[in-house]
Amino acid sequence: MTKNARDNALLPTNEDTCGPYFPIYFQDDSLEDLTRVGPGIVADVAGTQILLRGRVLDRHGDLAHGVVMEFWQANAKGVYRTPATANDADIDPWFHGYGRLRADTGEYKFRTILPGGVGNRAPNITITIFSDGISRIVTQMFFADDPRNADDPLFSALGADEQTRLIARHDGRTANGAEVYCFDIVMAGPNETPFFDDLES
Amino acid sequence: MTEFGRQLGIGPTDNTSDQRTPRKRLRLIPQQARASFVPVAPARAITRANEWDMTRVAPDRPRAEGVPIEVTGTVRNENGTPVRNGLIEIWSANHFGRYRHIEDQSGLRLDENFFGMGRVLTDDDGKYRFWTISPGAYLARPDIGRWRPKHIHLSITGGSARLITQMYFPDEPNNASDPMAILMGDAFERNIGRPYDVAGKDVDQGFGFDVTVGGKNATFFE
Repeated sequence: MTKNARDNALLPTNEDTCGPYFPIYFQDDSLEDLTRVGPGIVADVAGTQILLRGRVLDRHGDLAHGVVMEFWQANAKGVYRTPATANDADIDPWFHGYGRLRADTGEYKFRTILPGGVGNRAPNITITIFSDGISRIVTQMFFADDPRNADDPLFSALGADEQTRLIARHDGRTANGAEVYCFDIVMAGPNETPFFDDLES
Repeated sequence: MTEFGRQLGIGPTDNTSDQRTPRKRLRLIPQQARASFVPVAPARAITRANEWDMTRVAPDRPRAEGVPIEVTGTVRNENGTPVRNGLIEIWSANHFGRYRHIEDQSGLRLDENFFGMGRVLTDDDGKYRFWTISPGAYLARPDIGRWRPKHIHLSITGGSARLITQMYFPDEPNNASDPMAILMGDAFERNIGRPYDVAGKDVDQGFGFDVTVGGKNATFFE
């Protein structure tokens, strides 16, 4: 964008906290399980089904109850569903890749498929958290033992401790045909999850 | 090596903000990974026909207690492009400052005629409208006498535009001491609704609240 266009840019409305009372009424099951399209509808999502589960913790290690989590990922063939990929042959008509849930207690479960790698990126899921006390924080989660992690431009730039905090680990179980992965997020404190700045990047 | 961006501020007198605000600076996203941080939500049309009028729980039920208001505005990105067919999820406390939420343990009065939650869609010009009850302020920190000023929560989702914000009301005594308003500084003005005349409408006050969804994500696919 040219400097002149930036000078004409509208001033953004401030982000603000969603507070503790984001209505549970707004929940949408089809955004909490991306292998489903809607009640009673036959869907045929391609890929390995996974159940991602974990806890969101605060500075004291307590569950961060009432956080709103949003997920964003590519499909099994490594294609994000965006305006730019509308005509991509590898779009999965049954998969949009955007999820949302409210973690009432601070624990969450999100059913989806294992994303494919996109270009030189290792498979990952972008996670946004809205919560009381903050406006919005964003991170990106990777999968344990994926050989592509080592060459990923974001993951490989982090120190070893930080890399560990962005890894989801298979816990050895399956749940209704989904491979179970565990991923905890620490919002603040010594074991803080690395968060990313999508406003200044 | 990772480079660093913003340091998020902790809201003064806000215990939850102290518990949940990251202490390390946010990391900048390497250019090769930038596009992966742009979620695109599918268009949703899950509003019920009566949800735009939050002053009643159903069209055949009485009006809730308090002052009925209209809120209207246009949602745009920083380039001025309207956010079309965007979902706006709205929630607020009732006239007495109480949310009809199972986790609100404040004990303040509930109103059987007010749910305090509704959804509307923006039109082809990015415009929206809803009716609700002017929300009550409530004492957020009884130990230090700090109030939350009157506010309405709005969550906006439209393509890659994503914003959760709050509309505040002009000239409210508690605006200045609100932790999030303090973090916003002078920019807090942008989050205050502008009163307008509602003569001839079945509400007592009107507030204009134009929303600009900032950031690179909202303009990524233009």
